[in-house]
Amino acid sequence: MKDEEFERLLKITRIKLTTTEREVIKKDVDEILGYFDKIEKLHVERKPAYQPIDVPTRMRKDAVKKFKDPSLLLKETETYNSYVLGPKL
Amino acid sequence: MTGYIQEFKDKKKPSDYHARLISELEDANKTFRAFLAFKNDSKSNEDGMPFSVKSNICVKGTETSAASKMLKGYIPPYNATSVERMLDKKFGFIGETNMDEFGFGTFGINCETPARNAFDEEYVAGGSSSGAAVATALIKYHVALAESTGGSIATPAALNGVVGFTPTYGAVSRYGLIDYANSLDKIGVMARSAHDVKEVFDTIRGRDEYDMTCVVEDIKAEKRDTLFVIDDLMKQADERIRDEFEKLLSKTEKMGYRIERINSDILGKAVEPYYIIAMAEASTTLAKYTGFKYGFQYKQFNKHYNEFFKDARENFGTEAKRRIILGTFIRSASIKDRYYSKALMVRRMIIEEMNKILKKGFIISPTFPIMTPKISEASKLTPVQNYALDLFTIPPNVGGFPHISFPYSYMDGMPVGAQLIGESANDHAIIDFVSEWEKHFDYKFKHNLGAL
Repeated sequence: MKDEEFERLLKITRIKLTTTEREVIKKDVDEILGYFDKIEKLHVERKPAYQPIDVPTRMRKDAVKKFKDPSLLLKETETYNSYVLGPKL
Repeated sequence: MTGYIQEFKDKKKPSDYHARLISELEDANKTFRAFLAFKNDSKSNEDGMPFSVKSNICVKGTETSAASKMLKGYIPPYNATSVERMLDKKFGFIGETNMDEFGFGTFGINCETPARNAFDEEYVAGGSSSGAAVATALIKYHVALAESTGGSIATPAALNGVVGFTPTYGAVSRYGLIDYANSLDKIGVMARSAHDVKEVFDTIRGRDEYDMTCVVEDIKAEKRDTLFVIDDLMKQADERIRDEFEKLLSKTEKMGYRIERINSDILGKAVEPYYIIAMAEASTTLAKYTGFKYGFQYKQFNKHYNEFFKDARENFGTEAKRRIILGTFIRSASIKDRYYSKALMVRRMIIEEMNKILKKGFIISPTFPIMTPKISEASKLTPVQNYALDLFTIPPNVGGFPHISFPYSYMDGMPVGAQLIGESANDHAIIDFVSEWEKHFDYKFKHNLGAL
C-alpha cells in the first residue's frame, strides 16, 4: 500500500498511531493484503452472500415503546439540561 | 450422563453458595484471569446453576467492556436476550468473562490482561472467548454464554478441554451483543457436557423481536452415519495432531460411523474471504465508539470533532486499529470488487459446497491445527500466521453452520479437541453425537471450584 493511501485511511478512520505502531501496522497491512490477494486467483461468479442464511424482511410494529428508566441511558454520557454533550463542530 | 445442571439441582447447597464460589474465583482469577467482572447483585437467582457471560454480551448493571479500553466502565442498562432467557429459567449469573478485545484474536492475548490456560498458565487460553473456556474448565457447576465470529468458541473450548458449541447463524438472538461482524457473529455455549450444552441452547434460542436475523426456529436432530474428513485441510495440520486425530477416527468407526475422506479445494481457501468480510464489517461496527457515549468518556469538548475523535480512538488496541484501517480500505469504492465483493461470492461457493457434503454426513476435523502454544510463543506470531491457524473453524463460521468442539485426547498434559459440523439447523444432531462420544470417553478437569 502506498504511503499516501495509508495516510488517507488514517485520516478518514480518525486513527492516530504512535511511530512504533505506524511501522508495525503499515508492514502488517502490506503482508495481510498480500495474503488476501490469493482470492484474486479464484474464478467465481455467484450472487454475493451478504448473510449466511436467507433473512426475510420482517419489520417490527412502528410503535413507541418506553424504556423503563431513560436516566440509565443518559448515565453513559455527559449531559447538560438532559442534552448529550459532544465535541464541537 | 444427565449433566451437571441436573446434578447441581439435586445437590443440597448452602444459602450463600454463589458468594462462596465467587470468593474462590476471585482467588483463582489472580492466576487465570478468566473473569473481568463479578456480579454485584447478590439477590439474582442465588440458588441457580451458575452461568458466566462473555464480556461482549450485555448484562444489566455489570461492566461489559468487551475487554477494551474503549468500553471500560460501560454499564449496560439492559440484558441481552440470551441473558434474559437464562435468568428467566433461574440460572444464576456470576460474572463477565475475559476475551480478546472486541473478539479480535485466536489466542486470547489481544487484551490488557490475557486469560491463562486452565491446564497450565504458561499456555494460551485460546480466543476470543478465552475467559468462558477457562471458567468452564475451572468451575464444576457452571455453563458459559460465549460468542463466535470465526472460531471464538471452538478454539478456546478445545484448548481448555471443554465442550464448545456454536449454533446455526440466526438460531440465537444477537440482541445485546457488542457486535464484531454482524453477518458472522453467533452467541453460543460452553459447558462440561453435551447434555448441559443442549439445555442451555434450548433455553436461549428462538425468535426475538429485537433481532430481525434471528429466524431459525425448527431445530433438527437428524443423525448422520458418515463422517467426512477434508484432506485438503488435514494436510495443513501438524503431524502430531494428524496422528492423534486418526486414533479418534478409529474410535468413531468402532462406534458405528463410516469415515469418508474427500478433497475440497474451496474449503481450503476459506480463511482469506472470512477475514476480508470480518474486517470490512468490523470497521463499520467500531465506528460508533467515539469517546462521548458508551464507556470511555474523553470529555475534551472544546476540541474540534476531528481532533476529539482521533484522541478518543487512540484507546483502541493494535489489532482493532489494524482491522479498522484494513476494513475501511477493503470497502473503498475503487477496491471493493477486488476484495469485498469477491469474498461474498466465495462465501456463497463455500456454503454451496458445504451444503452438498453435509446433506450426506457430518464433517469432522481437529479443532486446532497445532499443539497449544505458550503465551510467549503465540505473541511472536505475525497476524497472517495467526489468521492461518483458524483454518478448521472458519468454514462453518463463514457459512453459518452449527459446529461443536469436544475433547478427545490429552497430549503432553494438555487437552486436544475435535470439531464436528452439521447441516444448517441440525444443531441437536451434532450435540447428540458428542453425548454419544461421552459414553466412550471421560473428560479430565484439573480444577473443580464450587464442588459440592
